[in-house]
Amino acid sequence: MKNVIEVKNLTKEYKELKAVDNLSFAVQEGEILGLLGPNGSGKSTTINCILSLLNFSEGSIKIFGKEMKPDAYDIKKDIGVVFQDVAVFEELSVYDNIDYFCGLYIKDKRVRKKYVEEAIQLVGLEEFKNFFPKKLSGGLLRRLNIACGIAHKPKLIFLDEPTVAVDPQSRNNILDGIKMLRDRGATIIYTTHYMEEVEILCDRVIILDKGKIIASGTNAEVKALASIEEKVSVEAIDLDKKYIDEIKKFKNVDEVIYNNNILFIRYKKGKNNLDTLLDYLKEEHIKYNKIYSERPTLNDVFLELTGKELRD
Amino acid sequence: MFIHNFKYALKTLFRNKMLIFWTFAFPIILGTFFNMAFSDIEKSEKLDIIDIAIVETDEFKNNEIFKESFKELSNKKNKDRLFNTKYVEESEAKELLKSNKITGYLLLKDTPKVVVTTSGINETILKYVTEEIKQTEKIVENLAQSEIKKEVEKKNYNIDYDQIYNKVLEITKDSDANIKNITSHNLSYTMIEFYTLIAMACLYGGILGMVAINQNLANMSSNGKRVSVAPTSKGKLILSSVLASYITQLIGIFLLFIYTIFALKVDYGNNLALVILLATVGSFAGLSLGVAVACLFKANDNVKTGIVISITMFGCFLSGMMGITMKYIIDKNIPIINKLNPANMITDGFYSLYYYDTLDRFYFNVVSLLIFAFLMIAISMFSLRRQKYDSI
Repeated sequence: MKNVIEVKNLTKEYKELKAVDNLSFAVQEGEILGLLGPNGSGKSTTINCILSLLNFSEGSIKIFGKEMKPDAYDIKKDIGVVFQDVAVFEELSVYDNIDYFCGLYIKDKRVRKKYVEEAIQLVGLEEFKNFFPKKLSGGLLRRLNIACGIAHKPKLIFLDEPTVAVDPQSRNNILDGIKMLRDRGATIIYTTHYMEEVEILCDRVIILDKGKIIASGTNAEVKALASIEEKVSVEAIDLDKKYIDEIKKFKNVDEVIYNNNILFIRYKKGKNNLDTLLDYLKEEHIKYNKIYSERPTLNDVFLELTGKELRD
Repeated sequence: MFIHNFKYALKTLFRNKMLIFWTFAFPIILGTFFNMAFSDIEKSEKLDIIDIAIVETDEFKNNEIFKESFKELSNKKNKDRLFNTKYVEESEAKELLKSNKITGYLLLKDTPKVVVTTSGINETILKYVTEEIKQTEKIVENLAQSEIKKEVEKKNYNIDYDQIYNKVLEITKDSDANIKNITSHNLSYTMIEFYTLIAMACLYGGILGMVAINQNLANMSSNGKRVSVAPTSKGKLILSSVLASYITQLIGIFLLFIYTIFALKVDYGNNLALVILLATVGSFAGLSLGVAVACLFKANDNVKTGIVISITMFGCFLSGMMGITMKYIIDKNIPIINKLNPANMITDGFYSLYYYDTLDRFYFNVVSLLIFAFLMIAISMFSLRRQKYDSI
């Protein structure tokens, strides 16, 4: 597959702060690349540099094989952007907002009308197309924000935290819409600090911290970077300390915490950890209500690599 | 693309309640208040002729311009005469002023001096008229000197001073320095208020200009960011948005004229086409001011709107909105301020159109406004040339 975006040695400095530090990566046609990182890690700055909105100190950026510049209209016509901040006109209806932004790309009125209707359908705003933004809930507003950015059917889409502060229904709707865009063949750069979304949507992940790539690859590849294999939580009331001490001695156990009647065990790589634990609980007649087993998440990887949570 | 953006820019402007209030409703509301507040003053002013005294110094007796001007302005045959003038000794003038029988008196020695005890409309009118006559005298002197110089250059040393004097008077008769048309009928306090009101309405177009810029620049608004990543030239977008703002502004001014002419019965004189020309150019200057504020200040919309409104209101204050005395004070003491003040350029343009027979001063103001506007746009262009930003 050919590269849609090629970023080489990108560096962006704000006075003494390096917001993006010698960043290099490529995005392949048709993939959804998740750009992960906590606030201030350089995600939005990287996107703004790629879009030629921001000056950068060093590096080169190519989109569709051509150098990206502010007046590269032949490249821009195939790009759609959904910024983190909702960018719509309060004075225009849902339909007019989408029509206005779509009209900056599509001149033919008939084609535009069709595209606008399709975008409204994609984000599920059919019932609200004559509403003004003030009358929309936060979630619906986010959907409108997305429709404005993708109505012209771009080949390359940047989605910068499109699900921030939305209700679960709108979030699911947005995620479904993004999957549909991918199915239509669009290449997507998706920035977020919500792990679950990345795991559902993205083919590949780049984790950023302090403007640098600290991990990249497919979800499985990145998760493999974690030293832990499994996390088990057991709800057991008034568990005696001797049992906790015994469990700590089990093979592959990395860490045991007992708090609020929940026993939390982290295992390093290894097999049959849960079976061993269940056998022990049975042998010692320890009563428990619930037991959960989880695989490491991208957040665990991030925690291990940086010592902080992604949402910090 | 140009028409698409223009159409939506118009739509957003007309649906923006805050903008519509400041550019359409506020000047109309203010005009209504002016009308209510000043109509009584105006009626009483028209009836009252100002009592003044002139000290009959030798200088005054020998100064034809001052003598003739005040004679004309006090001519009892003229029902719209401005002054009721007593020619007295200085001591008597002081007495008359002390006993409040006159508004003030003119003492012409080396320089003309107006003596008043309070500052009010009548006092301001007397001061203003004296100042205008002084200007006329200066023009006459300069013209006379130039005529004499011409004669000397021709090596004609038998100069007929009477002939030169008459020639100069003939030249100045129809010039803008001719103040013989100043009467109690047309020296209207309310008119100055309405002129500053229109100046204010024109400059409020700055808010519209500011919006046009903010909506199109990535470092100014979220919408600007979205527009900046579209395959459309920034110049085209800004030009179509500014044009939509200008048309909205002109519609606002047009409504203000309609309202003041038909509802408030304001008389803008016989040169309505020139009045409209000045308002059109004034609106352009106002728009350019807003464009410059939008480009030069990196702040949110509310702060920028505050800046435009503050500049406009302060400019209008200096040009006489809150009292004609201020215009007089600035014109007399710091004339450069009013020369640079776009509100004064507009007010003074209307003023000259209304009071003077010739259009020199009017066109001077029109040209000044155009220079102001192009200067603002040139400053803005410098900032708008940037295509990428250091931070957004």
